[in-house]
Amino acid sequence: MDIENKLVNEIAQLQHNFAETTNKLIKDIKRQNKILEQSDKRQRKEYDELLALKQEIEETQREVVFTMGAIGESRSKETGNHVKRVAEYSKLLALFYGLDEQEAEMLKQASPMHDIGKVAIPDAVLNKPARFTNEERVIMNTHAELGFQMLGTSKRPLLKMASIVAYEHHEKYDGTGYPRGIVGEDIHIYGRITALADVFDALGSDRVYKKAWEDEKIFTLFKEERGRHFDPRLIDIFFDNLDAFLSIRDRYRDVAGQH
Amino acid sequence: MQNMKIEETKYTPAIELDASGAITIVGKSYPENTFEFYAPVMKWVESYFESGAKKLAVNMEIVYFNSSSSKLFFDLFDLLEENNNPELIVNWIYDAENESAMEAGEDFKEDFEKLQFNLKAK
Repeated sequence: MDIENKLVNEIAQLQHNFAETTNKLIKDIKRQNKILEQSDKRQRKEYDELLALKQEIEETQREVVFTMGAIGESRSKETGNHVKRVAEYSKLLALFYGLDEQEAEMLKQASPMHDIGKVAIPDAVLNKPARFTNEERVIMNTHAELGFQMLGTSKRPLLKMASIVAYEHHEKYDGTGYPRGIVGEDIHIYGRITALADVFDALGSDRVYKKAWEDEKIFTLFKEERGRHFDPRLIDIFFDNLDAFLSIRDRYRDVAGQH
Repeated sequence: MQNMKIEETKYTPAIELDASGAITIVGKSYPENTFEFYAPVMKWVESYFESGAKKLAVNMEIVYFNSSSSKLFFDLFDLLEENNNPELIVNWIYDAENESAMEAGEDFKEDFEKLQFNLKAK
C-alpha cells in the first residue's frame, strides 16, 4: 500500500510538473505568435507609409521641376506645349540611344528646365522684338551657364541632370556651339539629346517672330547638320523612328497657332 | 537604491528609474541589442523589489518598437506580475492615432490580468 501511494504521489507530482511546463510552453508560444502578428502588422503599416512618402516625394519633385520649366518657358518666347514635347522627344531619343528606362524618364523630367537660366536675363534683352546686337546676343547666351549655376549646386540626381542639360543644350557636335564650344562626345549625351529635341520643336512651331517650318525643310536641315550641329547617331535614330516623333508632336499639338 | 537615467537616442527611449517608486519609459525602441540595452532596467527592477519596496508606478509611452522590444516588455511585465501588489500600477500611454501602440497595449493588458494595467489614450 505504502509503495503504491508513494508511486501515485510521484506520478501525481510529475503530472503536475508536466502540466506546469506545458502550460508555460503554450503561453510562451502564444506570446511569440502575438509578437509576430504585431510585428507583421507594424511592418505592413510602415511599408505603406514608406510607399506614400516615396510617392509624395516623387510627385513633389515632378511638380517642382515642371513648374521650374514653365517659369523658364514663360521667360522665353517659346509657348504652348513646347516644354512637354521637348520632354517627350528627349525620353524617346534617350531610349533609342540605349539609356535605360529610369534614366530616360529622368531626362524627360529634367529636359524642361533647359531654359531656366533665362529667368536671369534682363527683360529688355529677352523680349526684344528685333534682332539681337552682338552685345545682346552675348548676354542672351549666358542663360546656359546661368542655368547650370542655378541647378548645379543641388545634390539631387534629377537637378544635377537638369544642370547638365541647361549647360550643354546649345553646344554643337562640331564644337561651334556655346558656352564652352566643346566637341562631339565631350558634350554629355543629355546635352546632345536635348539640343536636337529643342531645335526640332522650335523649328516646327509658330512663334510671334516666325512661322513654323515645313517638315521637309526641317528634315533637310537635320540631314545637313548631321555631325555638325547634331550627334550623327541621334540624327539617324531620329529618321529611323520618325513616326514616333511625329506622333508625339500630334499628341501635344498647340491648340492655337497650328501650321 | 539609486536613481537611474538613460538618455533618449535615435533608436532608444528615454528611461527614468526613480527609487521613490516610478519608472518612465518614453520614445522609440529599436535597440541594436534589445536585451543588452534593457538589462540594467531589468536588474534595477529586480533590486527594487528585493529591497522590499512595493509602491511602483510604471509609465510607458512607446511610439514605435521592434519585435524584440515587445518580447522584452512581456518579460518586464512578467517580472512586475511576480511582484504584484495593490500599490503597483502600469500605465500604457499612446497617441489615439497610433493604432499599433494601442493594439500592443491591449495585448499586454489581456496577457497580464493580475496587473493594474491602464490604457491611456492621449
